Amino acid sequence: MDIGSLALQLLTGLQIGAIYVLIALGLTLIFGTLGVANFAHGALFVIGGYLGWLISSTTGYWAAFILVPLILFGIGVILERGLIQFFYRRPVTDQILVTFGLALVIQEILRWIFGGSTKPFPPPTWALIPVDIGIGYYPPWRLIIVAVTIAIVVLLFLLLRYTRFGLVVRAGMHDPEMLRFLGINVTARFTLVFGFGALLAGIAGVIGGPTTAIYPEVGMAMLVPSFLVVVIGGMGSLPGAIIAGILMGEAVSLAVLLYPPISQVIVYIVAAVILLWRPRGLFGHKGVMG
Amino acid sequence: MIAQLRNASPRREAVFMAVAAVILIALPWIMPYIGGYRELATRILIWGIFALGFDILVGFTGYLSFGHAAFWGIGAYCSGYYLLHANANALVAILIGVAVATAVAILLGYLTLRRHGIYFAILTLAFAEMFYYAALAPLQDWTGGDNGLTGIRTPELFGVKLDGDEMHYFVAAWTLLAIYFARRIARSPFGLMLRAIKSNETRLQSTGVNVYRYKVTAFAISGLYAGLAGTLYALYETYVPTESLHWTTSGEVVIMSVIGGFGTLIGPMIGAGIVLYLENVLSASTEQWLLIQGLIFMFFVIFLPGGVMEGLQRLADWGRKRHESATEAEARGAAPKGASAPTAPLRQRSQKG
Repeated sequence: MDIGSLALQLLTGLQIGAIYVLIALGLTLIFGTLGVANFAHGALFVIGGYLGWLISSTTGYWAAFILVPLILFGIGVILERGLIQFFYRRPVTDQILVTFGLALVIQEILRWIFGGSTKPFPPPTWALIPVDIGIGYYPPWRLIIVAVTIAIVVLLFLLLRYTRFGLVVRAGMHDPEMLRFLGINVTARFTLVFGFGALLAGIAGVIGGPTTAIYPEVGMAMLVPSFLVVVIGGMGSLPGAIIAGILMGEAVSLAVLLYPPISQVIVYIVAAVILLWRPRGLFGHKGVMG
Repeated sequence: MIAQLRNASPRREAVFMAVAAVILIALPWIMPYIGGYRELATRILIWGIFALGFDILVGFTGYLSFGHAAFWGIGAYCSGYYLLHANANALVAILIGVAVATAVAILLGYLTLRRHGIYFAILTLAFAEMFYYAALAPLQDWTGGDNGLTGIRTPELFGVKLDGDEMHYFVAAWTLLAIYFARRIARSPFGLMLRAIKSNETRLQSTGVNVYRYKVTAFAISGLYAGLAGTLYALYETYVPTESLHWTTSGEVVIMSVIGGFGTLIGPMIGAGIVLYLENVLSASTEQWLLIQGLIFMFFVIFLPGGVMEGLQRLADWGRKRHESATEAEARGAAPKGASAPTAPLRQRSQKG
């Protein structure tokens, strides 16, 4: 194996990791502020994928890229106002159960509408033709995924670090009770944060859909590794989620190169090792970006 | 429910078990009259064992696992493998399946019970998925990969082929045993300790109790039950599908338990019956059974988190209240209603978070 193909494989790992990062960031934001582990986040990812497929096949890909995250934001706001908000004061078990139920219902509704078969969701054709990037030929689509993810991470950092909204969210991740005592309308922020998490899942769906294939069960298949990313990053830690996501992506990618049958198991092995070594995850305490 | 269990006299317990035995054995004869089929009864009992053991962990300690498919599936694969490659001895097959499943449960319990609440749910889900993907690709020489284990011979017990009604009696016997031990556990000081974990783990810890050991034991017991149910399922189906390890199996037992009512032992078994019965009746007329199941599940989580058992309890309370106020009104003329005795909630709110 030469250095070039290894470098390309590492780049693919970065792309796989980027999708995990997008999903895990949404999960972390929601968990960190609302305290809810959103088992329906994978389902939101699939909605993003299906909508992306639907819109891009009718009005073109870039329309989908803009519209899908906005629609997902709306869906997130509706779900938070209509359902999730009633569970903040209920036991953690009920919160898990209700989001799990939501995931099942969304999955089955999607199967009802679109059928159980895999939808071909191609990215724009120009993005599929491999280009020479110095270490070999590589499809630009995967580079775009990485670039979009980096842009999102930077935007998120700026949002959390330099806006009043970000300040409140960071404070909320730290101590929501104190925030309420200070007379800040936490509830309105919660709704926005949930919508924002859904938006991130929508972006992951619309740019990641072409690489993961779109079928109803793919949500759960993406959710479980993303949850692991959140846990091994240290729950509630945004930098942890980013680093753990990249780590997982590289692990999968290297497994594909070295011993393909293990590629779907490797995530769990890496997670088990890290959690044995450091049960609270890489960035253990409730860290906040910035 | 639990208080009733603790006060039960040996005679009442014997009556309960006798009634349970009659119901379990009569089930295949009842099924065809209400739109089911005879073997559906066997299926319900097997899932009932699974849900019963699941309740010992989740209903008692409050630790919600999303990974019990691992033990069900490992039990099923091990006994299926034995039947496929050794001989048709049902008892040895069950013993092997249950032993391996319990061993794995102890191991996973040690790993996952360090964390609680959300972490625990995620970790159990993740480790179960690990077994699923491991069975799918790296271990496919043993597990048959996508096809699962096919062509398993009909198991035998002392020379009797376990098929149809014989299989049902065999499963019913195991179910009785499972119910008996679950009720013993619920009554025991050990069971009390598990409920103490649910009500306040930190407090229990500070009284000097090794909580971790109790949790691992409860996890192992529920893994043993899941393993037993999984082996029985392999024997009954003479086939082990890959779905036995999939998260849908873990989800199924969670759905059954919620619909029946966590923490009541009998509730999750009733939940298993309701879910499988509705599945059988509704899949005949609609393709959207899974959607309906999801909606029913959501209904219970949102409005009746204590499941059918809480519903029955509320109905009984309501009936009693009406009865009481009626007799009161009779006694005192037109006395105002209200001020009735507060009813204890069936399901305690957990403190974890």
